[in-house]
Amino acid sequence: MDPFSAEGELLNIHNAFYQGQYKTVVEFDTSSLSAENKVPARTLQLRAQIASGQAKEVLANVKQEGNAPDFVAVKALAQYSTGDVSGAVSEVERLVGSQSEHPTVQVLGGIVLQGAGKTEEALSLLGKHQGSLEAIALTVQIHLQQNRTDLALKEVQAARKWAQDSLLVNIAESWVGLRLGGERYQQAFYVFEEMAQVPSTSATKSLVGQAVAELHLGRLPEAEAALQQALQKDPKDVEAIANFIVLNIISGKDSSELRSSLESAAPEHLMLVDLREKSQLFDQAATKYSAKAAS
Amino acid sequence: MQSSPNMLTKFESKSSRAKGIAFHPKRPWILVSLHSSTIQLWDYRMGTLIDRFEEHDGPVRGIDFHKTQPLFVSGGDDYKIKVWSYQSRRCLFTLNGHLDYVRTVFFHHELPWILSSSDDQTIRIWNWQNRSLICTMTGHNHYTMCAQFHPKDDLIVSASLDQSVRVWDISGLRKKHSAPTSMTFEDQMARANSNQADMFGNTDAVVKFVLEGHDRGVNWVAFHPTLPLIVSSGDDRLVKLWRMSETKAWEVDTCRGHFQNSSACLFHPHQDLILSVGEDKTIRVWDLNKRTSVQSFKRENDRFWVIAAHPEINLFAAGHDNGVMVFKLERERPASAIYQNQLFYITKEKMVRSYDFTKNTESTPLLSLRKLGSPWMPPRTLSYNPAERAILVTSPADNGTYELVHLPRDSSGALEPTDMKKGSGSSAVFVARNRFAVFTQSSQQVDIKDLTNATTKTIKPPPGTTDVFFGGTGSILLVTPTNVVLYDIQQKKQLAELTVAGVKYVVWSSDGLYAALLSKHNVTIVTKSLEQVSTLHETIRIKSAAWDDAGVLLYSTLNHIKYTLLNGDNGIVRTLDQTVYLVRVKARSVYCLDRASKPKVLEVDPTEYRFKLALVKRNYEEMLQIIKTSSLVGQSIISYLQKKGYPEIALQFVQDPQTRFELAIECGNLDVAVEMAKQLDRPKLWTRLGTEALAHGNHQVVEMAYQKLRQFDKLSFLYLCTGDEEKLARMAKIAEHRGDFQSRFQNALYLGDVDARLQMLKELDLYPLAYATAKANGLDEEVQTILEASGLTEDQISLPTMGQPLQPPRPIVPTQKVNWPVKAASHSFFEKALLGEVGAIDDDAAPTSNGFDHIDGALEDEAIPRDGELGEEEDEDAAGWDMGDDINVETESDFVNVDSADAGAGSSEADLWARNSPIAADHAAAGSFETAMQLLNRQLGAVNFTPLKPRFLEIYQASKTYLPATPGLPPLVNYVRRNIEETDTRKVLPIIPRDLETIATVDLQEGYGAMRSNKLEDGLKTFKKILHCLLVNAVSSQQEVGEAKKIISTAAEYATAMAIELERRTISTEGDENLKRSLELSAYFTIPKLEVAHRQLALMAAMKLAFTNKNFSSALSFANRMLANGGSAKLLDQAKKIKSQCERSPQDKIDIEFDQFAEFDVCASSHTPIYGGSASVACPFDGAKYHSQFKGQVCKVCEVCEIGAPASGIRLFAS
Repeated sequence: MDPFSAEGELLNIHNAFYQGQYKTVVEFDTSSLSAENKVPARTLQLRAQIASGQAKEVLANVKQEGNAPDFVAVKALAQYSTGDVSGAVSEVERLVGSQSEHPTVQVLGGIVLQGAGKTEEALSLLGKHQGSLEAIALTVQIHLQQNRTDLALKEVQAARKWAQDSLLVNIAESWVGLRLGGERYQQAFYVFEEMAQVPSTSATKSLVGQAVAELHLGRLPEAEAALQQALQKDPKDVEAIANFIVLNIISGKDSSELRSSLESAAPEHLMLVDLREKSQLFDQAATKYSAKAAS
Repeated sequence: MQSSPNMLTKFESKSSRAKGIAFHPKRPWILVSLHSSTIQLWDYRMGTLIDRFEEHDGPVRGIDFHKTQPLFVSGGDDYKIKVWSYQSRRCLFTLNGHLDYVRTVFFHHELPWILSSSDDQTIRIWNWQNRSLICTMTGHNHYTMCAQFHPKDDLIVSASLDQSVRVWDISGLRKKHSAPTSMTFEDQMARANSNQADMFGNTDAVVKFVLEGHDRGVNWVAFHPTLPLIVSSGDDRLVKLWRMSETKAWEVDTCRGHFQNSSACLFHPHQDLILSVGEDKTIRVWDLNKRTSVQSFKRENDRFWVIAAHPEINLFAAGHDNGVMVFKLERERPASAIYQNQLFYITKEKMVRSYDFTKNTESTPLLSLRKLGSPWMPPRTLSYNPAERAILVTSPADNGTYELVHLPRDSSGALEPTDMKKGSGSSAVFVARNRFAVFTQSSQQVDIKDLTNATTKTIKPPPGTTDVFFGGTGSILLVTPTNVVLYDIQQKKQLAELTVAGVKYVVWSSDGLYAALLSKHNVTIVTKSLEQVSTLHETIRIKSAAWDDAGVLLYSTLNHIKYTLLNGDNGIVRTLDQTVYLVRVKARSVYCLDRASKPKVLEVDPTEYRFKLALVKRNYEEMLQIIKTSSLVGQSIISYLQKKGYPEIALQFVQDPQTRFELAIECGNLDVAVEMAKQLDRPKLWTRLGTEALAHGNHQVVEMAYQKLRQFDKLSFLYLCTGDEEKLARMAKIAEHRGDFQSRFQNALYLGDVDARLQMLKELDLYPLAYATAKANGLDEEVQTILEASGLTEDQISLPTMGQPLQPPRPIVPTQKVNWPVKAASHSFFEKALLGEVGAIDDDAAPTSNGFDHIDGALEDEAIPRDGELGEEEDEDAAGWDMGDDINVETESDFVNVDSADAGAGSSEADLWARNSPIAADHAAAGSFETAMQLLNRQLGAVNFTPLKPRFLEIYQASKTYLPATPGLPPLVNYVRRNIEETDTRKVLPIIPRDLETIATVDLQEGYGAMRSNKLEDGLKTFKKILHCLLVNAVSSQQEVGEAKKIISTAAEYATAMAIELERRTISTEGDENLKRSLELSAYFTIPKLEVAHRQLALMAAMKLAFTNKNFSSALSFANRMLANGGSAKLLDQAKKIKSQCERSPQDKIDIEFDQFAEFDVCASSHTPIYGGSASVACPFDGAKYHSQFKGQVCKVCEVCEIGAPASGIRLFAS
């Protein structure tokens, strides 16, 4: 039986991980789990730790967990998260050579490879999956990053047929929905809202998702409320800050304070990197033009 | 054949065999005539027996209400027909004539006639006004069992055990007796007596048709209310349908089904149905058109004898061996669901419609559900899913079915649904965006299904579950006859359980925090986690409920709308004349559906519950508002407040001094209490006041109370306590005056006044005591005097050993002067508000400084050399600066989609934007800055892009959001569109921040504000910002392009004007050259096309400057222009004054380059005039004019475009 299915015992921890409730995941009581599920659960916990910024600790301690390929993959992920991209990639490549059928290896390897810019390799690794929703979700995300919404949509629709009830499929569908737009915005909004507004599943991640959907729907006050809620939960959440900046620009408000807090929290955030790039581009492009006569 | 297990029985009575039934046409009454000779009058709504009439001897078979008069008629086995008044509760008279049992009696619908049929084989017509028999119809040759008037025509139909049904024509009789009905009763009597001789005979009523077909006796016959149809039931167990024309009548068909004698039948008053009853203990419903059985209800033991239909509403009554039952054939509650401001409901024609609460409009039918369930069964529930715009409808047909249908986007009439998912189940309800729950009662199973109708989960509900309801996202409420269970679908576990019996409906509050569980007679309010908040009981049936936005539940019973607060306080809001089903409460309007499925709006007065709610929430401001604006007074509200522990609030409502006093004491408001006590001046009140004041420590009030009560001792003691010696002394005086020695002694003691004591004791001849006192206090002289007076010596007296004499302590602080720290009086916010002490209530407008107060000074100081003559008025004229009305540039915001070139797949949406649009802003949003610049260069000759950098980056950033996805990877970038409905990748376009509307309503006004408040540097910046924002922007229609262009030119004019004035301010006033330039610039300041109010400011400044520098001619021209512009009186006064002064010597002292009569523009760079005819160039974007030598330079106004550059024109909208 698929341990992530509705009846499986990993359902809750798995959902919590994907809803961004990392604390819940880390504190999840794994003692009652059956032996075969212990390793995946532990893996999720380690990943949650990495996601909440404790990659170094994980890296230091992962050796104690044992030699299962899961933990090797986690180690690679932790390496990647601490900035050791090349080390991580070589680790993954080694792992893939022997364990490319292992679902955790596929997913974590996929993340590392994609993160290192090796999209082709990541996709081919993920393509080997045997009905792993995580792999599918990751594939969807990579397709979206490639701007291949059509492929992402296909992937989601296929998954929907056999795992419609899965939270992960719903989330991945919302990712695609936010690209497609129109009515899909509203549907994506419902998914995020459902997660964000139920106290037991609410997390900054889903609140940010809700806010983004609302931004796309043009519902600025609602988006602002959701972002404020997210920042209340975690004032350092970079995505919340980044989206708040966008919101402020759209609604014509000043956001220099948020910008500086983003700069200090995540100087390499996509938004800032992109902005620096574009600023340079602007200066470059502007030099092409000048007035015929100087005043 | 279907049988319906749950018949909608509304009322049942227990009695002996019921043979006749009649509904009152208006009131909820039925008359039941019994085999036991009694006639009962029931209120079937309340279930109470109103009256009994017992004058017949033996069974009463026929009974009928009069349509309008308070009368009814009965006929019995005693051969008698009796006419009764239910008002005076007695039999008015008896009509004798029949020679055997009377079977049926009926009133005519308009004539004063009674029709009776009897076992004597005759049918008779009686005039009940003159109490005479007017016609006897013979022809049947066995008992006539039933005879009825036609509802409109002059026809009678009768049924007899001779197996025939006869139709009689009585038009002859009518002609003969066309008595005007408007006559009074007495007149009728007189008339009747006069023509009593008139004969009755068969010629008045002739047999028109004889209908033969029944093989046995016919028990009942009835006309169709509108069609030429007749239905009859007979002992041959058949129900036969007959049709008639003018000339003939024939049998149409037979309804077979009864397996015993059929005793009565009738047509459904509104639907194509026949109802019949029989001795086989069944009520059967037949389709009139197909003559097939639709429904049947069976009773265990009771044979049915009679059936009757209510003429107006959907109610029937049937009489059986043990009483009567009143029932409905179908539920009348329209299925409906609410989402935000829309109500979705199903009409009687099974159309789905929506109703918009904001616009109060009904939509055209959205969908037809004609095929749902059986044709005679209306849908039971409707559940709406806003995410999918789908509805889920259940119908009780076939033991419960449901259908899932998507509503069409636009209502184009009653479409048959195209993609319909069906299934069976007794209830079905949406539980999440993409899930619904279907409950099947027979198998006791809840299936959770997805929108493709596939079961994803199955839940076993608690045994005996009868219904399921929505229970908050992801949860359902399972209802059993005794309990309600909250069940989490995801976790598959029961979250909570509450014992509430017989819940029939669940109504959620709009915020989803509370739910009202409605059962037949109870409303239970629970939280979303199923904790009981309150419950209440109603004796009358509860029909529906809806939540007010403020959290008050309004519910409807059969005849009232009532409210209940969360704490259980409830009351009546209004009465209802017909049953309605509440769906929504919004302020004063209650929206409901009536039984015909029509949305209705009822006005209610929410004052009472709003007030109570405000009280509970301690929202005093709202309470105050309510008190001020409505007439909320009266004993009920006072006692309510008092009971609820708000005497201080109740105090505000009361006028009666006694009550006010009581309330004031209760809430410790001594001031009011004193005031009232003074008014009433009763000892009892003063005593209570004294006690209360003492408890507060308010000794001044205590003093007053004691004074009023003349309680001297207490008063003295009070003074002692407060240390008020002065008053104590006065008390001693008073005591002396009153001759009260005890009191004197006490006061003297309190005062420590030994002399006074001695004096008094001596006065009373109490020498021993006096001696002891004197001795104790060491007053030897006195001792001697006393000894002398009593003729004793010291040795003769033996005294106990004495200690030191005691003195009362001296007061150190004059505490009597102030009250002691008083118990905090409950001066609530509310009271303060009432007394007008709270500013917020009074809605004080913000201080009205318009930022111009200091302006005039500033302007004068900097610009206008002071002149004595004008000096005094300068404070005032400044007021003219803000008199101009701001002009709002109108903006339209209808979005129009933008067509564009083809785009391929595989590139990011941002790349598409650049391909989709010829607008520079869209290219900037896409991050394609080169092409954006190229476009701007071509369109507007833009060359200097540096000032646009913030704008470019702003646009670029505004269109991207960052969605966190898989942890470990960077967020997913998504692209914000301005046409959010659009999904065609060739048409999507990015959002551009600072749209036209914002610029017009915010930025432009800010610029005007800067002009008014003389913050010209800021203003210049603002207008330049506006220009930059519009330079790179997008609008949604061609019309908006025009508006944008208008704003651009306005901003350019203002920017130019401000630049001119700012230049002037930098020039020192020293030197002729400077003065001349200064005068010129002030004149040019008046040239740009500003708003009139702003131009007046410029003119005023120029006029003053010219005047003070004795340039009277120029000043005169400015004054004239001001006068021509009109505007504020003060401004014009000044202009007039200057004008009159200047007219005396209209010469300029300093010659300036300013032709007041010529039309000219001002060069935006050199700030010199460009007269008409001379060569000039303009900025291709903002249109600012320049002398031709500036061609090729960057425009001074927008700082972006090249002056005189070739350009195709601004592009803000791609059509």
